[in-house]
Amino acid sequence: MQTDDVAIHYGGVKALDGVSITLAKGQIRGLIGPNGAGKTTVINAITGRQPLTRGKVTLLGEDVSHTDAVQRRMRGLSRSFQRTSVFGQMPVRKQVELASHMMGVEDSGADADDVLRELSLDHLSHSIAQDLGYGEQRRLDLALALVGRPAVLLLDEPMAGLSVQESLDLAKHLQALTSRRNVSVLLVEHDMDVVFGISDAVTVFELGRVIAQGTPAEVRANPRVREAYLGSAA
Amino acid sequence: MSIQKISLQTVVALGLGAGAMTLVSSGTVLSLLTQATIYAVFAIGVGLLLRQNGMVSFGHALFFGAAGYIVGMLLQAKVMPAEWAIAAALLGLLVVSFAMGLVIVRVPGVAFGMLTLAVGQMFYLTASRSRGFTGGADGMNIEWPNSLFGVSMSVLTKPATMFMISWSTLVIVIVLLALLLSTRFGGITEAVRDNEERARFIGIRTLLPRAAVYALSALVTGIAGLLSALNTGFVSPENLHWSLSGVALMMVVVGGYKALWGPAIGAVVYFMAKDILGDYANHWMAIFGVALITVIVFSPTGIAGILDKLFMGRKLAHASHAARH
Repeated sequence: MQTDDVAIHYGGVKALDGVSITLAKGQIRGLIGPNGAGKTTVINAITGRQPLTRGKVTLLGEDVSHTDAVQRRMRGLSRSFQRTSVFGQMPVRKQVELASHMMGVEDSGADADDVLRELSLDHLSHSIAQDLGYGEQRRLDLALALVGRPAVLLLDEPMAGLSVQESLDLAKHLQALTSRRNVSVLLVEHDMDVVFGISDAVTVFELGRVIAQGTPAEVRANPRVREAYLGSAA
Repeated sequence: MSIQKISLQTVVALGLGAGAMTLVSSGTVLSLLTQATIYAVFAIGVGLLLRQNGMVSFGHALFFGAAGYIVGMLLQAKVMPAEWAIAAALLGLLVVSFAMGLVIVRVPGVAFGMLTLAVGQMFYLTASRSRGFTGGADGMNIEWPNSLFGVSMSVLTKPATMFMISWSTLVIVIVLLALLLSTRFGGITEAVRDNEERARFIGIRTLLPRAAVYALSALVTGIAGLLSALNTGFVSPENLHWSLSGVALMMVVVGGYKALWGPAIGAVVYFMAKDILGDYANHWMAIFGVALITVIVFSPTGIAGILDKLFMGRKLAHASHAARH
């Protein structure tokens, strides 16, 4: 997956400007930056939730800039949301199975069971989503994004609101899933320990522009990044 | 739910109707039960929209009244037999409401309710003023033929027969909806209702299911309108008025919309209250209003919710008792 010179402008405000990111197969790329830097806007741009002012999005070698969110999802581009986004009144398995079916998976029941097992949600199959704990709902959100074997997964602050232990558990799940399912992950996250702990590459944003890219070690060592964002966390 | 279980429940429900028809000898009571049953179908239509789309309509009386007007005008024009006129009215309502749905279900929340109110009132005013076509504010008598579907009209319009027709329609509507909603279509509409954006990101095109539910609820309401037209042989602009949509909504709230049959309970309670309280108080609606507020405060899921909790509680107690022994 690749974005080339992607820009989103609201009148004179440049929410994104000239953003080019490449996500290799099976790679986890962390996307960090201060609040309002444009991280969620990048995900919205890639998934077709917000139209581009300029630039293009390429998925598996195909320009998908002019397709809508549903078409991009069908082509293997999946996402989670900053706020937990599940089907509140539906049982867990029913919604994951539905998502799998909508992705055209022939044995959607088996696919749903696989994903639920991988995310340790299988014992909650018959629970209603809104009755789950917050951490379980975050994992259900991830399960909905994972069914149908997407090629690219865009995760918008999946650890937000989780306890330290829950964050560590989810990070562990993420790393295992990425290698097992050979899925590329673009991870927007404020938890620097998680981002630098599981990412193969890191991109740093400031005011809608990329200010640094590289391996976690390179980014940590970048003086501009330390000054603009990491500070003592580095 | 298995087909056998649904079949058994259907037979039991139809049997209950037949029993009531046999046991109740008073024409007045049967007539009241018929009205309640017709409004139960109407309320199920309104409740379906709330249950599957999460949308509140203040204009569903449009479909209730329109069904009667379409049949009335087709029979007046003598362009087709009554049976075909009924089919044409239902098909026409389905197509028109689906087309309408494609436009108005895009509007979220309160604005949707206001839009349905505006559209409904537009047709109410049109019917009130088009004296040449609709009889204007006086309404129109429906010229039913001497027989319908091979049954003499004098038999059909007997209170007992009319009650059984309405009751059977109610049972069939609930069973067919339950079957439909147990298919993939039901899951898709629930997903869209719960979280439209997430639904898009699991590959669901959300407009069509929403419009389909809107059309389906309009069709059910239209069926109630046809039953009313058959029962009274008359249709007037009052059948299109927003206050009728409001009454149906009250039935939905009192009965509860989470269960398909909930609004039907609401309709029965409404007509019982109207009949019993109406004998003692002119402003019986004020008392019903208090009951409505009580239900909203203490059981937002309505009477069906209370019954469900009681039933589930007993089931759980049964299960734990069985587990202990």
